[in-house]
Amino acid sequence: MAQLDIIGLAKRYGDFHAVRDVSLSIKDGEFLVLLGPSGCGKTTTLRMVAGFIEPTAGHVTIGGTDVTVLPPWKRNAGMVFQNYALFPHLTVNENVAFGLQMRKLPKADIAKRVEETLALVRLSGYGGRLPRQLSGGQQQRVALARALAIHPDVLLLDEPLSNLDAKLRQEVRVEIRELQRKMGLTTVMVTHDQEEALTMADRLVVMSEGLVRQVGSQRDLYERPADRFVAGFVGRSTFLEGTLEAPGRFRTDGGLAVACAGDGAGRAVLSVRPERVAVGPSSVGGPNTGLDNSLPGTVEFVSYLGALIDIHVRLSPSDRMVAQIANRDGAFVPEVGQPIHVGWPASASQVFKE
Amino acid sequence: MTDTAIAHGPVVEKRRGEGLTAAALLTPATVFVAIALLAPLVILFRYSLNEFVPARKMMVEAVTIANYIKFFTDPYYTTILWTTVRIAVLVTAVCLVLGFPLAYVVARTQSRFKNLLIISIVLPLFVGNSVRAAGWMVVFGNKGFVNASLMGLGLIDKPFEIMFTEKAVIIGIIAVNLPFMVLSLQSVIEGIDRSVEEAAFSLGAPPATMFWRVLWPLALPGILAGTILTFILAMNAYATPFLLGGPLFKMMAPLIYNQFTQQTNWPFGGAIAFILMTVTLLLTVAANLIIQRRAAR
Repeated sequence: MAQLDIIGLAKRYGDFHAVRDVSLSIKDGEFLVLLGPSGCGKTTTLRMVAGFIEPTAGHVTIGGTDVTVLPPWKRNAGMVFQNYALFPHLTVNENVAFGLQMRKLPKADIAKRVEETLALVRLSGYGGRLPRQLSGGQQQRVALARALAIHPDVLLLDEPLSNLDAKLRQEVRVEIRELQRKMGLTTVMVTHDQEEALTMADRLVVMSEGLVRQVGSQRDLYERPADRFVAGFVGRSTFLEGTLEAPGRFRTDGGLAVACAGDGAGRAVLSVRPERVAVGPSSVGGPNTGLDNSLPGTVEFVSYLGALIDIHVRLSPSDRMVAQIANRDGAFVPEVGQPIHVGWPASASQVFKE
Repeated sequence: MTDTAIAHGPVVEKRRGEGLTAAALLTPATVFVAIALLAPLVILFRYSLNEFVPARKMMVEAVTIANYIKFFTDPYYTTILWTTVRIAVLVTAVCLVLGFPLAYVVARTQSRFKNLLIISIVLPLFVGNSVRAAGWMVVFGNKGFVNASLMGLGLIDKPFEIMFTEKAVIIGIIAVNLPFMVLSLQSVIEGIDRSVEEAAFSLGAPPATMFWRVLWPLALPGILAGTILTFILAMNAYATPFLLGGPLFKMMAPLIYNQFTQQTNWPFGGAIAFILMTVTLLLTVAANLIIQRRAAR
């Protein structure tokens, strides 16, 4: 296990910048998740760490050693691929033993290590099978065992759960996280699934267009998103376009005056998390409610999600707001077409200048 | 009861219809193979057991293995068989060694010119063997383009002997067979996931180790198909050895043709044909067993 440092890493294909100047420092034993939409450069970054792609600029160091120019087979980085990439002609035992044979360990040690690692991923007794005789979840665990067996300095996970069905995914998520913590593995995972990212990571990196948008904890990203992209990508936000007229005073393009927590002035966009918005049959604001804003509107759409209910409210011809309310006894659930009020505290909104 | 009978009736009928369709689809090819391949082979085999009277150039009905004995006891003929096997093995090996990297590149390329690349590999096959050989005679002959130019420039005194040598035949057959090898390998390599190679690298395998432990065993079906195809084609090569080898160079296929047409010795020609077929078959099976056992190890 070791610290992993990515310093000013960039990759250019002709005129296309896949990754621009990414710098990250992953502490020994930390689980870092690279999160972003497809094409944001997260996989390219991971593959540069693994050594499959040569960076155009920048460095990668593992445990203080610069590995930028080392080929992948000299890096001691365990990788789990999206499609598992098991060797189809080798048994489970042979798959897991492969990396150990490359390290020229004595046969007895290899057998012992293979057995231990398979026990770790709860696949004892499956060693003699071929990959095609296993279920998707089992194949995924073999891929993990194969990467863990070599005792890698860093563990790299490239969308490792995307080929599993939803229920299995939740289980494996917890399993991988527990293993990683137990073994103290420095881990980088790439995913586009924010729920996956939020549940597994110690720290997250949001990327888009080859750039790091924000690095931080789950709470940092959710409550203090650095820009409009992060606010929209991590969790959900309603955006109101408009102008910041004065510190704390925002006017939407639809003409609504809104109290907010922003400084400065100029064109801006106001974002509000749906679950921070209250709804009521009449004005929900007032001195004791803590809601600085209370605006009238008409319900356009109600979407029932079970535990939660989304209510889409038209505030003005160009402004629409989503409120998410808990489905509790006695909760006020309006119907489509009903005139209602929505309200939220100024502190629940964020202003991003354009 | 009535309900089930009604429910089952049409299903059974449909099944029967499918069976008939399948039979109808299989029949033409089966009949064609029977008439065009099996029947001549059976008749030829029967001929090979007949006697030949050289004086009258006539076939006489008999049941004898004299023709087979004649082939294997006369060093003239066994040398030809040996030459043929040697050349076929060499050609197949060279095709595999030259073909694998090419097939790999074609299989892995992301270029939009990939189809063009494949066509350019197949392109040589558009030119018939005889046409190609004739072209080579013009270029590489003792008074051909290359020698005439070099001698004209005073670079050499005597022409390079390229034509009518074993080398010319080997190069000629390789040129014909390489596309078959490349296409067989390429289609199989394309089916091997690139990330499997990367997984081997990430586990510490350098490229050569990755090749022998991962790529080679996974490409084995293509390697077998390619080598079998190339070997059979080389064993049976006719036009290339005939045209590029010259009158003194002998391989099996031209020998058979010669027995049938020049000598009109059908029994002996038939015997040689069966010897060639059997040797090809035995060597192919043996090589496959060896390669597959290696891979299973």
